[in-house]
Amino acid sequence: MAPWVVVGIYGLVTDLATGLGALPFAFVRTVSQRAVAVSNALAAGLMLGASFGLVAEGTAHGSWQTLLGAVAGVAFILLTQRALEGHDLAIGSLQGADARRVALMVIVMTVHSFSEGVAVGVSFGGGVTLATVITVAIAVHNIPEGLAISAVLRPRGVSVWKCAAWSVFSSLPQPLMAVPAFLFVEVFRPALPYGIGFAAGAMVFMVLVELLPEAYETERKPTVALLVSLALVGMVLFQRVLG
Amino acid sequence: MDPAIAVLLLSSLAAAASTAGILPLVRRPRVPLVAIGWAHALAAGVMLGAAFVLMTATLDRTLGRAALGALLGIAFVRFTHAASGTEDLDLGRVDETGETYGYKVLLVNALHSASEGVAIGAAVMVNLPFGVFVALSMGAHNVPEATALGAVLRARGVRLGHAAGLAVVSNVPQILMAVVAVALIQAAPVLLQWALGFSFGALVYLVLAEHLPESYRKAGHTTIALVTIVAMGIVVLIGGAGGG
Repeated sequence: MAPWVVVGIYGLVTDLATGLGALPFAFVRTVSQRAVAVSNALAAGLMLGASFGLVAEGTAHGSWQTLLGAVAGVAFILLTQRALEGHDLAIGSLQGADARRVALMVIVMTVHSFSEGVAVGVSFGGGVTLATVITVAIAVHNIPEGLAISAVLRPRGVSVWKCAAWSVFSSLPQPLMAVPAFLFVEVFRPALPYGIGFAAGAMVFMVLVELLPEAYETERKPTVALLVSLALVGMVLFQRVLG
Repeated sequence: MDPAIAVLLLSSLAAAASTAGILPLVRRPRVPLVAIGWAHALAAGVMLGAAFVLMTATLDRTLGRAALGALLGIAFVRFTHAASGTEDLDLGRVDETGETYGYKVLLVNALHSASEGVAIGAAVMVNLPFGVFVALSMGAHNVPEATALGAVLRARGVRLGHAAGLAVVSNVPQILMAVVAVALIQAAPVLLQWALGFSFGALVYLVLAEHLPESYRKAGHTTIALVTIVAMGIVVLIGGAGGG
């Protein structure tokens, strides 16, 4: 098998793992207003934790590059918000603010996967053993990301299967970017801190501008604070143990 | 310099920085709600950045201790909120002049500064430059925090000088806990990982429970998100470049 095909398969494995994040929602039946707030808080913590891990890695490659990437990430979310606001969006049975938030969540998580795909591809330069370790790490770390996506989608009435499908969709850039990143490592490596910064900036801003304020609207402060901080600590620990 | 002396100076400096936060109130006895929202968002961003930098200082080989420390930090703040009946307190009310509200706001500010003290103490024990960095971040954080506290105090008719004094005094637990943290870590170095984790968990929880919630209503989602992320980015950038 050609090496680039192997890289593609590894990328596909990490992609499919994201769908597992929808699994817990197969067991949750009631979808109340409170469930939305609790899920938002959970997603917020997971995304903040993921971003903390990304920034720690990005600044190791170059602080200024990471910062520039992050600024672009924030600008991207602001522009996407504006673009979505102009349209009467309808996704399935969802309309208005719910549809916008769901769309924004899928867009953010999909865009942030690009740099993870690059990371998989570039890591093959360090040998297959290293690449296997990193692939497993990214695959496992994708599961809570799928959980974060499903946490936003499921309480708004999206079916469990569709949650899984959108989770897998959001990681599609991983196999798609892993192959070119592997083939043209020298071109992609310098771009990595920018990509990492972009992903982190977009996710942190999404948390601050959408997920947290919505969570505070319906749930008490101590509950939101507890859920977000526990999910954050859990995600940071999870990534450090894997890394 | 002896770490105990260094931490005493650094945490005192960070506490004294609060007076700068009172300056914007000199000409304006009444502060618009939007400005209080801004102040809390600034404080939140700086604190999140400091939490991130403290996280990067935890060592990988004793990660379990840092994680347990983080849980302890979260539990500590949560417990102090619950025990003092301040879980749902809005820290930026200028229309409320009841006595109970007044002392609760001061109490929350005082308890809040205890966790900041642990952060400064732990950072000094990592190394002095890192300690200076974290102390400076906490000082910078104390400035907008004092503006928000001062706005509440001024609306209650507290004189400017007293407001400045109360802003500094409410940060005295910061100095105490910083010195205690250094003394404990000197006596038992294993506690360093615990203390770093504790600060990380406590600071994150404080941001989420005290600084962010009401700010969104006061200044709007986008404004608060932007102010917070910019303040956070600056701290992370400086911390990544020189600190940890």
